Order: sequence, then structure tokens, then C-alpha cells
Amino acid sequence: MREQMLKSILSDLNGASADIEASAVISSDGLTMAAILPQDVDEDRVGAMAAAMLSLGERTARELARGDLEQVMVKGEYGYILMSHAGKDAVLTVIARKDSKLGLILLDAKRASKAISEIL
Amino acid sequence: MKKYDNKIIFTGPVGAGKTTAIGAISDIPPITTDAAASDMTLNRKGYTTVALDYGVLNLDGKAKVHLYGTPGQERFDFMWDILSTGGIGLILLLDNSRPNPIKDMQFFLNAFKDMLRQAPVVIGVTKTDIKNTPTTESYARILEKVDMRPPIFEIDGRNRDDVKSLVMALLFSIDPGLEG
Repeated sequence: MREQMLKSILSDLNGASADIEASAVISSDGLTMAAILPQDVDEDRVGAMAAAMLSLGERTARELARGDLEQVMVKGEYGYILMSHAGKDAVLTVIARKDSKLGLILLDAKRASKAISEIL
Repeated sequence: MKKYDNKIIFTGPVGAGKTTAIGAISDIPPITTDAAASDMTLNRKGYTTVALDYGVLNLDGKAKVHLYGTPGQERFDFMWDILSTGGIGLILLLDNSRPNPIKDMQFFLNAFKDMLRQAPVVIGVTKTDIKNTPTTESYARILEKVDMRPPIFEIDGRNRDDVKSLVMALLFSIDPGLEG
């Protein structure tokens, strides 16, 4: 039930912009709660990596006096990976194309995070 | 004694006491990356390491040992690779109260086998107050069959002296000339 609701938020998110290729909701200890990912991507590994990145980001932000972490962004040759908190115990991960309009994606991700945190 | 500035890795299964051990011997407030557990770990404890633990141990004010702790769950095995790069030695903590600590030992020694080609390992067995078997001798016997003879200690991960003796044993097997 909960997974279905999360999935519907993710599919809205993926549909909101052609730039978003995939997304997932992950518990803060790295287990995938719901995901719409390409076939060849291993959910478990994505989950663990997102949790590790976010946790490190949190520590880094605090260590360098940047306050509470809002998001972690990774940019690769072929696009972006954006991780942000969805409530206290979950992470929203969004995978986007390289020529994405980042502002719009951030906005969509923020909206989805809010909806997710209301479910959890 | 020359100046040492070296990195050692703490690994082992969930709940063996890696975060606790680093906290016990670090001379700086350790960096931890705990997250609330939602998997099987919950049966054992509320929080689990998701990226790394980091601490520093100063020996005689000359040698500085950087201590890195890994997450225990296999889904974080990419962190094992990242953290073990450049490590001069491995400390494997085994939780004797887990169902099959011998299998845990074999699993982790295998997972870190690339690192162990050049670096020594020391084994610390924790929670022997909860379950006193297997004994350190049984661990040693099994390792002898694959021609490994690492130092094996029963330790309390909360006890600074216990953990420090593990680190010292590891440093001795790297450089027998080292004076603690």
C-alpha cells in the first residue's frame, strides 16, 4: 500500500519533466522503499550509495558550519544525481539527463519530497 | 622511530562494535555517519553506520594512526573498497553472539582479500561475555588450514586498552621494530 503510494509520487515526478530519467525513495539506512529505475540498475546498490552520500553530506555540512543538509548533487559526464531528504528517515534520489533544467528539477524534487514525507 | 602517518581499517559484521571501538580509542571526537536502522539490524541496535567512522590515534605524539570504520552490511560493500584503499592493515571485529561468527570471519577475509595481499590482519572477538564459543583457538585452527596465522584477541570494544592492544598488535606485525 505504502509502496504503491510512493510509486505513484515517483511516476508523477518522472512524468513531470522529460529530463528526469529515474527516481527512488530510500530509507536513511540505505534500503529501497520504492523505485522507478532502469532495468539494469541494482536497487540495493543505489539505495546504499544514496544513504552513504547523504550521510556524508550531512556530516560535511555540519563540520563546515553550513547547517542542516538540504541536498547532495552529483554531476557526471552524462547527467545529474540529486539526493535530498524526504522527511527525517527517507531520501529521494532523482537521476536526470545532462542538459536538464536544474531549477525545474529541484522544484519538482522538492514537491515530491514533501508529498513523500507526508506519507511516511 | 620514523614518523608514521598511517591508515588502518576496522571492519566486521553489523553490531560487532566497530563504531564503538573507534570511539573508544580515538584522540579526537570521532566522525560517525549513523542512520536509524530499518533492516534486520533493528533486532540488535537502533543505529547503523552507513558511510564510515573516522578517528585518530596518536602514539607518543609521533605516530599518527588514522582509523577508518566500515559499514557492516554487505549492501555497503562499495564503501569497503573505497575505505580500504591505502590502508596498511585491517582489524576484523567478530561478534561472537551472532549465529555463525566463523562464517562471518571467512566472509570478511574473502571480501578484503585484495587488501590482505599486502597488508596484515588482526582479529578481535567481541561479546564473548554473551557467548564464549567459538574460542580464539577455534578461529585460529580454521585459519591455519588456509595458512593464515593472524593475532586473535578476545576484546571488549568499549575498553580503550583492549582496542589499543589490537591496534598495537597490527602495527607490530607491520613493523616489528615499532615501539608503542
